[in-house]
Amino acid sequence: MIKAENLAFCYSPAASVLANVSFHIEAGTIAAIAGRNGAGKSTLLRLCNALLKPTSGCLRVNGIDTRETSAAKLARIVATVFQTPELQLFASRVVDEISFGPKQLRYSRLQMEQAVAAAMERTGLSSQAESHPLDLTHAARRFVTLASALAMKPRLLLLDEPQQGLDAAAIQRLEDILRAEKAAGVTILFTCHDMDFIARNADHLLVFGGGALLRSGAVSDVFSDTALIQLAGLKLPDSMLLAQMLQLPPARSCEQLIEFWLKAKLLRS
Amino acid sequence: MALLEIADLTFELAGRTILDGITLSIERGERVAILGANGSGKTTLAQWLAGWLPNVDHAASRGKLTFDGREWKDWPLPQRAAAVQLVGQLPVQQLSGREFTVRDEVAFGPGNLGLPVSEVSATTGEVLELCELTHLAGRDPFTLSGGEQQRTVIASALAMKPRLLILDEPVTNLDPSASEHIVRLVSELPPDITVVWLDTSPKIAIEFARRFLLLRNGKCVVDGSPCQVLLHPESLATITLPPSAQAARLAAKAGIWPDGLPYPLTLQEARVRFEQVKHDQS
Repeated sequence: MIKAENLAFCYSPAASVLANVSFHIEAGTIAAIAGRNGAGKSTLLRLCNALLKPTSGCLRVNGIDTRETSAAKLARIVATVFQTPELQLFASRVVDEISFGPKQLRYSRLQMEQAVAAAMERTGLSSQAESHPLDLTHAARRFVTLASALAMKPRLLLLDEPQQGLDAAAIQRLEDILRAEKAAGVTILFTCHDMDFIARNADHLLVFGGGALLRSGAVSDVFSDTALIQLAGLKLPDSMLLAQMLQLPPARSCEQLIEFWLKAKLLRS
Repeated sequence: MALLEIADLTFELAGRTILDGITLSIERGERVAILGANGSGKTTLAQWLAGWLPNVDHAASRGKLTFDGREWKDWPLPQRAAAVQLVGQLPVQQLSGREFTVRDEVAFGPGNLGLPVSEVSATTGEVLELCELTHLAGRDPFTLSGGEQQRTVIASALAMKPRLLILDEPVTNLDPSASEHIVRLVSELPPDITVVWLDTSPKIAIEFARRFLLLRNGKCVVDGSPCQVLLHPESLATITLPPSAQAARLAAKAGIWPDGLPYPLTLQEARVRFEQVKHDQS
């Protein structure tokens, strides 16, 4: 679904953000991007939706070379949720905000109403359709931007720090949506600073540092490279640290940790 | 007299009760974490603590808040700004918008207090160093990444040398090493600075806060030590426990956590207690 070959990008000739980046993400994968602040994570998302074009090298999304298309054309298959909802929202009613994308994609009225209603239902916004998005809590605003993306039924969903500022119930809702999208064959690429969230939800992990892609691989493989994790300013997920303490295999979640613990206990007895 | 006294504070907005009869006091030098779900009233409470509320359009419908014995409305603005600083969730909304470098942005506050130029410059240099921003001092704040902007806003607050520092979900934009750095920075602040940290999860605040409060629907429902608050049934239903406590709770449900052994709240505590459980089971 996403293929980068020797991708490079700089905002000005003196300031290279990404250089020599090559990776491949299969369709239907949930992939995470991690790295320090300023490592180029959000820039990579903007390259994937063609808001930015590579300075050199090539990035293909679903086989389309992003240099040869526009963000508007690519929006037929790619939807983006930016880091700060307040900078993305513009309509005066939640329902209008979510309808905007489908309208641009020329959905029929019925198709649009169905897509918008389904997106609001999944994001828990059905009762707030008439509210002004900026009257909602930060978390609800974040779900308005997610619903706006879901209503466009993308093949690739780009999420910039999707779990940021969400409480336990909202994170659970977000994780359920991610899983359902994956099950429907959607590819998801998200940036994230919460290593436990990455371990629970992503299949693939791209680690950036110093303007380069330091590693691209399966989440458990990448997290087993402790030198890399340190170099990139990341941390092991707590579930994996706890598994190390109990001498258990790397656990992707607390639930998996207990599963491993029970199995080990059973084996001992 | 406590530094902050809140008595029966009730605040309504657009017909909704946001804060509902909050009564609490915070002593000088306390490190307090206020937890709550999205929409529980944390940010509104932070704005009251910082004196952004009440304002011309918004008053309390009941109760009051005093800082050093005086209500915020009785404080001249420069004095208030020097006494309390609030770092909000969205750094981009807190940048002054009139400074073109990170250094000038950080110097903006103390400069407006009319301090001598040499003092402003020395404080700015110290704070930039402390927040690991020296290498970005000449950059335009609006060209920084989200996390770098967040550190700029925290540095700008520290440059005011406030007596009360309020941090509203301050590390959500930060990478793990930057967020550890902020925790270290907060832990190492002079002991007379009072810190109030508001968040949806205790994962970061557990490292330095000795007192926790839980807000639910604008009410302060639990107030006490980390253990008392985080393991309270009200908290278990609302907030995400730190992973070590989550794991212990799941272990208890699976029947492999000894009765009476407290859940670990930090990784350090987990190391000791998991070792003990493993030892007992083998």
